This record gives sequence, structure tokens and C-alpha cells, in this order.
Amino acid sequence: MKPPRWFRWRPAAIVLGLAVALALLPPVARISVYTQNQLTLTFVTIAAALAWNWLGGYLGQVSFGHAALFGLGGFVAARLQISAHLPMILAWTAGGLVAGLYALAWGHPTLRLRGPYFSIATIGVGEATRLVCTYWDWFTGGSSGMSLPVTAGLKLQLYWYGIAIALVGVATSYWLRRSPLGMALLAIKSDVDAAGDVGISSVRLQDGVLFLSGLAMGICGAFNASYYSFIEPVETLGFEKSISFVFMGVIGGVGTILGPALGAVVFVLVRQYFIASYPQLYLGLFGVLLVLVILFEPLGLTGLSLRVARRFGYRERPDLST
Amino acid sequence: MTALLEVRGVDAGYGDVQVLFGVSLQVREGEIVTLLGSNGAGKTTTLRCICGLISPRKGEVLFHGESLAAVAPDHRAGLGIALVPEGRELWPQLTVRENLELGAYHRRARRSLSKNLDRVQALFPRLLERKSQLAGSLSGGEQQMCAIARALMSDPKLLLLDEPSLGLAPIVVDQMFEAVRQLHREGMTLLLVEQNLVAALEIATRGYVVETGRVRLEGEAAALRSDPGIRAAYLGI
Repeated sequence: MKPPRWFRWRPAAIVLGLAVALALLPPVARISVYTQNQLTLTFVTIAAALAWNWLGGYLGQVSFGHAALFGLGGFVAARLQISAHLPMILAWTAGGLVAGLYALAWGHPTLRLRGPYFSIATIGVGEATRLVCTYWDWFTGGSSGMSLPVTAGLKLQLYWYGIAIALVGVATSYWLRRSPLGMALLAIKSDVDAAGDVGISSVRLQDGVLFLSGLAMGICGAFNASYYSFIEPVETLGFEKSISFVFMGVIGGVGTILGPALGAVVFVLVRQYFIASYPQLYLGLFGVLLVLVILFEPLGLTGLSLRVARRFGYRERPDLST
Repeated sequence: MTALLEVRGVDAGYGDVQVLFGVSLQVREGEIVTLLGSNGAGKTTTLRCICGLISPRKGEVLFHGESLAAVAPDHRAGLGIALVPEGRELWPQLTVRENLELGAYHRRARRSLSKNLDRVQALFPRLLERKSQLAGSLSGGEQQMCAIARALMSDPKLLLLDEPSLGLAPIVVDQMFEAVRQLHREGMTLLLVEQNLVAALEIATRGYVVETGRVRLEGEAAALRSDPGIRAAYLGI
């Protein structure tokens, strides 16, 4: 079988090699449980940041409400495991599907809006979802939350699942960006009328990407609930959670292929440091960081590294970095 | 002979504003038909109806004798209707080559992509030189050529051109009309919206003059050229 035209062996080999090396870390290098857990969280955060970027970066529709999808996926998966005793992976899939359909339910009409209105709508959706889940306590456990079953060896299992999820996220990002489909998404982002003129169905593609993003977000949320063996609305559905995905995208480079993954890693590390050192100020510090990035390097860490690479004589294709 | 495109008694508008009042026109295979009129006459609105970007309130648009009412805009490109929009609407941050490839987005055109690429690059050699340049960095005339080329990449049977001479230097306008003439010689059917009456009537087979949303005059281009009413109202001679 021939690989598709957009496939590149080098990045694929690097990403896959990295994944294998990380997968071997716990048994071979005997890393501490703390490190292992931090890495697990980072993997799933990477996947979530990439999923946010499919919509926010590739289509330019910035969502301030992706925590709603993350949280809903978590709650559905948790409820199915607790009440229906569904196996974990099946419950995750169900959580993802529900989150994807939920995204379509409000996104299908609001994505047709031009300008910033989609983003504004997502703020409302995010908050409404949080409130509904807080008061819908027979399903979500209300503000006291729900505890999930814990099995022996779960944490190590989740470490490997986390790597797999991040890997799928990276592969999907490449596909959504480099395939002819990715070209069509760029066309929609930069001029939706012109895209229509050449026969690109912006409605179908926008809905498709939204569904994929919701699906991935829901699975990440379900994973997160399994990781903590606990889920409650404030942390998983709060505005702070939604904003964190925006942070990761902006820090890493909105619309780039792997920038948000980098942003997620930095976000996890910096957040740890900020929370430990300045617990009252940490959101404010993130705000300052965000402003600085947008002012001086709109493409975030990706833009910065391209700038450095250019200094050493590297020429990239101008269009693919944005 | 049935017309390739027929607009039949179309009323259309935006919100409360009605722009077209019973517009009818025909384009037969192999013709260049020009749609003339001043600003706000309804020329672009007519094209938008043909492409399905707005739907007529009354009347219908027929392509190959069949109504397009149930055909979504993105499927009309697949049927062979291509629009070169006013103001070009290229994707400025994509390269010329990528703009052209996106023009061949629908399935039928994707199959003949390389053949069509050769064809448009033969028509506009300039685009070949600039193929890896970002479309936003082209000159106005080159952008117009790129927009026409992008539309041709969809392998159209009918090419709709919305004011292709807008904002171009006179010498570039001449080149552009020469390209239109070349396409006509190759058998392309074109509907050309223009404010540049003299040039448009020179290359067109037939013409329609619209005024405040109604077709005022129609006929052979040669007859329109010598029509005293037109000469007085539009040509100023």
C-alpha cells in the first residue's frame, strides 16, 4: 500500500520513535511514580490541545467552551462505568461520541456565524453546560462529584493509553493539515466565500472538524476522569479549563501542526511552577504571558523556533507554518 | 437548441431590498454573453443567483435545461459552473499553485488536475513563473489571471466572470480580454459582467443591458454597439 501524498517519513519516524521511547520509560528506566503520572497528564493534555487547535487553528474558530466537551465526555464515561459497568475503553468511546454530537448540536448553527460570534457563543455554551451539570445531580453527582472504579495497575495502563491517544492526536493533526482536506480547511479559514465558489462545502467540513474535535475532547475528558478516579463539575467544566486550551494553542502556535503539543507541555510545567510559587497570582501571570506572546510572537513557540532556524539559514515553506 | 444556461423571470434580493425584477437571459453553448449596466443594476446579484449563493424569490435558473433550485452551491461547481468573483477572492496566504489546486477541488476536476494545470499555465505563462509565490504578493493583474485560472481548474462548461477588468491598468485589461477571447476560441462558454462596455461588446457575441434590476435591452453585440440609446446613455458618444 502506498502512503498518501501528504505523508512524510521523517516526522512520522521521529514522533513514533519518541512514543516508543516514552512507552519504555517506566519498565526500563524505572522512573518515579510522580514522573510517570505527570507524563500521563501531559500526554492527554497534548491530545486535548491538538483537538482544540483543529477548530481554533485550522478553521480559525476559537472556542472558549471546549471544557464543556471535555467535561461532558468525562461525565458520560464515568456514569456508564459506575451504573452500567461498561468497560473503560467502551465508556471512553461513548463519552467521546456524546461530546462530538453535543458539539454539533450547538456548533452546527453557530459555526455559520461570521466573525467572532462563534467564539462568543462558546463562552455561553461552556458556562451553561457547567451549570446544568452542577444541578443535574442524579447524572453527574452534582457538585460533590462521582468516584470511579480503581483497578490494580490502572495508572501504568493509563500511561500507555495516554501515549496512544497523543499519538492519534498528532497523526490526525498532520492529516487535517497536510492532506487536500487540510488545504480546503485553510481555504475556508481564509475566505469562506471563495471556498464556496470552487465547490468546497464549508458546512460539511466545518461540522466534520467540529465533531472530530468534540470526539477527541470527550475522550480526553473521559481519560482524565479515569486518571483521577473522580470527576466533578467545577474543575472539569470551568471557564479556567476552557481558557487553558486557548493558552496552550497560543503559547505553542495557533494553527501550526505540533505547536499546541509543545504549548501543552509548557503549560503543564509552567502551571505547576506558578501554582506552587504564586497560588493567588497564577491566572494573572498566565494572562501576562498570553499578552506578551500575542504581541511579540503570534505564532508562539513555533514562530520563535522558526525565527531561530531562519537565523541558521533554514528556509521553510512560507504557508505551512501558519 | 436549448440554452446552456437560462435565467427565467428571476426576482431576488437581500432582506427587504429587492434587487432583481423578473430578469431573464440565456447563454448558449460557445457564446460570450455580456451583462452590462451601471453600479447597483443587479449584475453581481444575477451571478450570485446562478451560483446559488442567494436563491431567487421567483423564477428559476436552468442549466442544460434542468432547474438548479435543488442544487446546493458547492455542487454547482461540480456541474461545471465556475465563478470568477468580483475582487478575485484568492487565498492570499496560499501559493499560486495551491490556489489552482484548490480550484480543482471537486471530484471530476481532481481527476484531470495535471491536464488542466498545463492548460491554464499555457494560457497564463506568468502564473507558471510565480507558482510558488504567495497569491497575496501578486500584482493586481496577476491576481486576476490567477482567479480566472483557478476557476478554469474546475473544468467548467460555463465561466462566469464578474468585472474582471476592475482596478487593472489599461494594458493589463487588454491582456485579460485577450485571454477571454482565447478561451472563447477554445470553445468555452462565458458570461461576462462588465462596466467596460466598449471592450465587452467588442468580444461578446450577445449582450444584455440591465438597469435597476430589469433587463432593458438585449441583442447581438454588434447591434448594441451601434444602438443610439446605448451610445448616448453609456458610451457618452
